[in-house]
Amino acid sequence: MSLAADARLALKFASRELRGGLSGFRILLACLAIGVAAIAGVGSIRAAIEAGLEAEGAALLGGDAEVSFTYRFANEEERAWMTETALSVSEIADFRSMATVPREDGSTDRALTQIKAVDTTYPLIGTVGLSPDIPLPEALSCAADTPCIVAEQLLTDRLGLTPGDTLRLGSKTFVLGAILTNEPDSATGGFGFGPRIIVRRADLEGSGLLQPGTLFDSHYRMTLPEGADIDAIKAEAEGRFESSGLRWRDARNGAPGVARFVDRLGAFLILVGLSGLAVGGVGVSAAVRAYLARKTSVIATLRTLGATRQVIFLTYFLQIGALALLGIVAGLLLGGFVPLALAPIIADQLPVPARFGLFPGTLAEAAIYGALTALVFTLWPLARAEEVRAATLFRDALSAGRALPRPTYLVVIAVFLAVLVGTAALFSGTWELTLWTAGGIAFALVLLRLAGLLLRAAARRAQSAARGRAPLRWALASIGGPRSEALPVVLSLGLGLSVLAAVGQIDGNLRGAITRELPDRAPSFFFVDIQKDQMPAFLDRVETDPAVSRVDSAPMLRGIITRINGRPAAEVAGDHWVLRGDRGVTYSGPLPDTTRITAGEWWGPDYDGPPQISFAAEEAAEMGLNLGDEMTINILGRDITGTVTSFREVDFSTAGMGFITAMNPSALEGAPHSFIATVYADAQAEAAILRDIGNEAPNVTAIRVRDAIDRVAVLLQGIASATSWGAAATLLTGFLVLIGAALSGERDRVYEAAVLKTLGASRRRILGSLALRSALLGAGAGLVALAAGIAGAWAVSYFVLETDFAVIWANALAIVLGGLLANLLAGLAFAWRPLSVRPAQVLRAQD
Amino acid sequence: MTDPILSLNDARLTLDGNAGPVDILRGITLDVEKGETLGLIGPSGSGKSSLLMLMGGLERATGGQITALGHDLTAMSEDALARFRRDHMGVVFQSFHLIPTMTALENVATPLELAGKPDAFERAAEELAAVGLAGRADHYPAQMSGGEQQRVALARASAPRPDILLADEPTGNLDGPNGQAIMDMLFGLRDRHGATLVLVTHAPDLAQRCDRVIRLRDGALDRAEAAA
Repeated sequence: MSLAADARLALKFASRELRGGLSGFRILLACLAIGVAAIAGVGSIRAAIEAGLEAEGAALLGGDAEVSFTYRFANEEERAWMTETALSVSEIADFRSMATVPREDGSTDRALTQIKAVDTTYPLIGTVGLSPDIPLPEALSCAADTPCIVAEQLLTDRLGLTPGDTLRLGSKTFVLGAILTNEPDSATGGFGFGPRIIVRRADLEGSGLLQPGTLFDSHYRMTLPEGADIDAIKAEAEGRFESSGLRWRDARNGAPGVARFVDRLGAFLILVGLSGLAVGGVGVSAAVRAYLARKTSVIATLRTLGATRQVIFLTYFLQIGALALLGIVAGLLLGGFVPLALAPIIADQLPVPARFGLFPGTLAEAAIYGALTALVFTLWPLARAEEVRAATLFRDALSAGRALPRPTYLVVIAVFLAVLVGTAALFSGTWELTLWTAGGIAFALVLLRLAGLLLRAAARRAQSAARGRAPLRWALASIGGPRSEALPVVLSLGLGLSVLAAVGQIDGNLRGAITRELPDRAPSFFFVDIQKDQMPAFLDRVETDPAVSRVDSAPMLRGIITRINGRPAAEVAGDHWVLRGDRGVTYSGPLPDTTRITAGEWWGPDYDGPPQISFAAEEAAEMGLNLGDEMTINILGRDITGTVTSFREVDFSTAGMGFITAMNPSALEGAPHSFIATVYADAQAEAAILRDIGNEAPNVTAIRVRDAIDRVAVLLQGIASATSWGAAATLLTGFLVLIGAALSGERDRVYEAAVLKTLGASRRRILGSLALRSALLGAGAGLVALAAGIAGAWAVSYFVLETDFAVIWANALAIVLGGLLANLLAGLAFAWRPLSVRPAQVLRAQD
Repeated sequence: MTDPILSLNDARLTLDGNAGPVDILRGITLDVEKGETLGLIGPSGSGKSSLLMLMGGLERATGGQITALGHDLTAMSEDALARFRRDHMGVVFQSFHLIPTMTALENVATPLELAGKPDAFERAAEELAAVGLAGRADHYPAQMSGGEQQRVALARASAPRPDILLADEPTGNLDGPNGQAIMDMLFGLRDRHGATLVLVTHAPDLAQRCDRVIRLRDGALDRAEAAA
């Protein structure tokens, strides 16, 4: 018979079988629906943020386009070009400083702040939100004879200020005009160390801030004529001011940092979602297997009546396919509409704009994942269905068929698996991460399967030791014997718990390293913007303090590496982080005590020749640099080209001073610059140092390292919690699979309980045995997941983060307990029937 | 005269069917003496197995009274019934009803474990040897033939030395020679341990091996007759 005829016949059989309803397929549907929904949901939120960033790009950027400079303002030529090109231009300077409030008792409160010095046209696009609700110009001219500022509530709370109060920036007094509640272009600023203050740049005159050498960025926001060719303008700017260190951004990607972060986190979460789908796949596979086991006699009968293997395969493929489609559609509806329904709540939680909607591309991505997963996980059991022979009717179904499907099916499954991984890589845009994730999932599944087998073997062996403790022995018998639930339980619970364990261990170790170990090794303070003439007094104050154990200081400039060996740097070294923005550059005559040269030679204290560069060794290797390479660094709009003559060891892990690039003094000394210093001091001496330096040099900014570390820790916590939510979806799917396993095992348990009752077992003992087996299996799955999670976390810590690793025991215990409780809950939820049913009902039915 | 070991007084069983209540047993009054072997025969659906289930406390009578060894089974809770079976009864089913997750030895040891016997496994091994299955102790039910499974079930039922052995068509799923062997073993065990045996069977020739045979029809006693 032809394939078409077989398919028609199979369709008839399939539709007849599906008349029985969906009662046996709830778990299959739920597994697929939740897996697809999680991916569609994450994708929808990511797409909403991307749509929001795109739609509000101009407001986020503060203009249609922006050019920025490090460390300097635009020169006349650059200003003239901007005025020619744009309808309007707004100039902003962004830098860190200290806000201080002198108290009546002579003490001074200080807080680090990120100052945005603006002109009268700011903001070109968008509105600054203030409390009280007044326009920005009004707030910034709130007092007749004193300049005004607006500040974020975090800062005013920290300094105990309310509108009308005064504070000092540098050596000048300002009045707080209003509280800043919404800064339209806040997402573009990157990682700020302190809360924001907005002030007129003109009002900073006489404050001692923004001196030559101060570390600041200048931004010029432009509104462009309607229909302007942004690409052409960008090309012109970059071409004309190629060697000036100019950086370009435009409204098409107003917050590239945020967009990149959202894109990467989204891609990562979708990969976590895929692990959820893999667990769902295990459940789907189990559900299909259980269904086909129930259908063995039907299949055998069909075979007896003359149905070919192809008809049998197609009959059940069509049924499962229809059900999978239903599950995927349910998942898409959930994943598409739930974020839409919760849009106001989600938008409130997001620091960036989001435009919610239904995103067909995102939904298609989730549907493809769902369909491929369903194919990969159902083909195996389906292929085995066609192996059922008519003779099975006369023999125990358990012994029927061979272990592996035919080679054709194995090849088809492998192809679908490859397509799934390829699709994930294509959508996530990162082959490396996808392959690691796929490898991780595959490894975890193999490991969990092995662990499940091991658990069964251990339970079998332990039975003899449990003789005399009947409920325990029955529990072990059921785990170790045929029809054991060990494999499905360990697989379904294990993968979700493994991801959770790995996330918990990585997060705990990373945060431990940052919040506990780092402060022990890191300096107490960074002092930046120290003018050259302030250095002697500064050093005198800190070096003579017995509470200070170490002071490092160095001249500091900032520069952008623009060319390597005459070619654009990005062409040579790709998208290396060192090239992504401006980096600190220092100079020194003699080799500093703490510097270790790994290759080449330092220029020596009296060198006065052409510029030479000493580059960080590890980064040089990553970028493919060699001794003798020429490198052009743009500092303050001037290109300085030098030769790389040595590589140095630079350790960023201690949060101490570390410069990627060092040059000989004569190359840089002429440029305006300031100094940076790190001070290692006892905690109790910190306040006095801060006070004295602040009084002596109000323009100097002190960054307390612990505060910065806390901010990083909060950021990490956010990422870890987002990942944990992804893992929770995996766990939820795993729990569903557990319920599926418990459901499919219910018949066996009811039967077993009936026989045990016949033999004289009380319900309490039977319940005890049921609880024990669930708890043992759950704890076993938890332990296996913990081992897999710790192994994964160690690998990430050791190879990727390069941090020390220690097991976080509280988290480990929670994982094992979680596994135990989850399985106990699933097991006990299905204990009622075995306990309540009367033996005769069951045993007679069996006869 | 001693008190009967099993006594049914107007025992009734009505079950809810799709088309309404169905009377399975309609007032059975019957005494079984200690040490007696009683055969229950009758056509399919006559209520033989249900009567046996009532005697074993595996089914609850909806009317009347059933006493075993002087205890009123109808007044006992599910757990009390389970304990009573543990201490006094052994049951053999047509479908063997071994626990598939346990080996032959573990199946036989289970009632002894439940009774808290410290030597449960030693005694189980002896019982298995007694039914000729010493070499199959570590096999799971699925790895054994029907005849072997029924022998394990027999060993399990007799291992705790019950006062009453209830057997529900124990040869129903077996061929002639296997069925004959099982019957020989059942009566042999009963003879050795002196238990009271109630045997449900379709086969008149098997029933004739009992001291007394009772025929059921439509849930009621048809007539009682003592075997030779």
